[in-house]
Amino acid sequence: MNLVWDNLPFLLKGAYYTLLVTVISMFFGLIIGLVVAIARLKGNRLIRGIARVYVSIIRGTPLLVQIFIVYYGLVDYGITLGPLTAAYVALSINVGAYLSETFRGAIQSIPKGQTEAAYATGMTGWMTMRRIILPQAARVAIAPMGNTFIGMLKETALVSAITVTELLRSAQLLIAQYYVYMPFFLGIAAMYWIMSTVFSAILNAVEKQLSRVY
Amino acid sequence: MIQTTGLSKSFNGLEVLKSIDLRVAPKEIVVLLGPSGSGKSTLLRSLNGLEELDGGSLEVNGVRVEAGMPSKKKQAGFREIRRHTGMVFQQFNLYPHKTALGNVIESLMTVKKMKKAEAVQIGERLLDRVGLLVKKDEYPSRLSGGQQQRVAIARALAMEPAIMLFDEPTSALDPELVGEVLEVMRQLARDGMTMVIVTHEMKFARQVANRVVFMDGGVIVEEQEPEIFFQNPKSERSRKFINQLQEH
Repeated sequence: MNLVWDNLPFLLKGAYYTLLVTVISMFFGLIIGLVVAIARLKGNRLIRGIARVYVSIIRGTPLLVQIFIVYYGLVDYGITLGPLTAAYVALSINVGAYLSETFRGAIQSIPKGQTEAAYATGMTGWMTMRRIILPQAARVAIAPMGNTFIGMLKETALVSAITVTELLRSAQLLIAQYYVYMPFFLGIAAMYWIMSTVFSAILNAVEKQLSRVY
Repeated sequence: MIQTTGLSKSFNGLEVLKSIDLRVAPKEIVVLLGPSGSGKSTLLRSLNGLEELDGGSLEVNGVRVEAGMPSKKKQAGFREIRRHTGMVFQQFNLYPHKTALGNVIESLMTVKKMKKAEAVQIGERLLDRVGLLVKKDEYPSRLSGGQQQRVAIARALAMEPAIMLFDEPTSALDPELVGEVLEVMRQLARDGMTMVIVTHEMKFARQVANRVVFMDGGVIVEEQEPEIFFQNPKSERSRKFINQLQEH
């Protein structure tokens, strides 16, 4: 276990990348998810179709395959991305698909009367979405969104496969150096667990805050 | 003020409004009566385009919408109509994430692009008018049904509508809360608002309406002064309807 303590700064740096990849991918995933959800609900047939195919493909294929396609596959078409960029792109696209389903459900859960009330006072569809529907839908979506975020934190381990030195790869590098497995794996497991727990607590607090408003 | 000509509407092939011709004059108070499924709510909702007409035409406050218009033009027409009509719903439909005041001033700020301070002034005046200024910072979940409906009326009035549409405004209320909402509506009537009301409150209809429009099976069966309608209706169906009301 001393080996873990001695190499803690190195592991912490890995944890930092894990967090970085999680937060940045989540941020872009939120934007993608929102756009796709609205496209599926309000778009014309073509746009709805494209959005549906996107969600279906992403949810129906392994994340690791998606990461390889972005990092290795795109090179064949002259698009060379750094490992970190590829991780952002692949994970954002992936989590965006899942979040779009969350948002779509949340938007649909808002009673039709809300839209009618807004329309009846002269609001346009866009005003209604922005001012009336989305604020209420956000509250519905916050809990499943939190779960996606925590899930994301753990799935970032997959980008170790494209040489992003996040937490898992940091451990693998140390293992290659010292030839012992268990302390490092247990060490990073503990670090993942701590991060998940802390985020859970933060999200719970946010949820409570939101539900207290009305 | 309102004129529909041959207005028709179907749901999945079932014709719920069959060529309705309805006229409402300025300052007139028209009550739509009829058994459930008679089309009275659908007619009211098509007056501001919440139900889109399938046939005929509609003119509200000088804005004309025809069934044959391209969709974009129809939508624009309805949006224009909605800016000049207020609507009150059976289920109130207040925005739960906004306070009473927030509900009233929302469209002043978004649709009319008013500054917040100015909107608040109007909002407070209207909440005062429905007797709820003290509740302006409460969220709808903390208000009784009657209070929520009065806020909803204030919200509709904020846009300075020329016409108010009421879709069974007291049907979702506990009996003891009906009176306070009807009182606000009576006040509006006294102030000369043009109103079209779907309601089951017969006493209210009798006292406040200038004209009763009785519907059944998607057509207007009888239009009558309330006193005549309730005491000596012309058509057989109206008579049956009134007799049924009196049985309980």
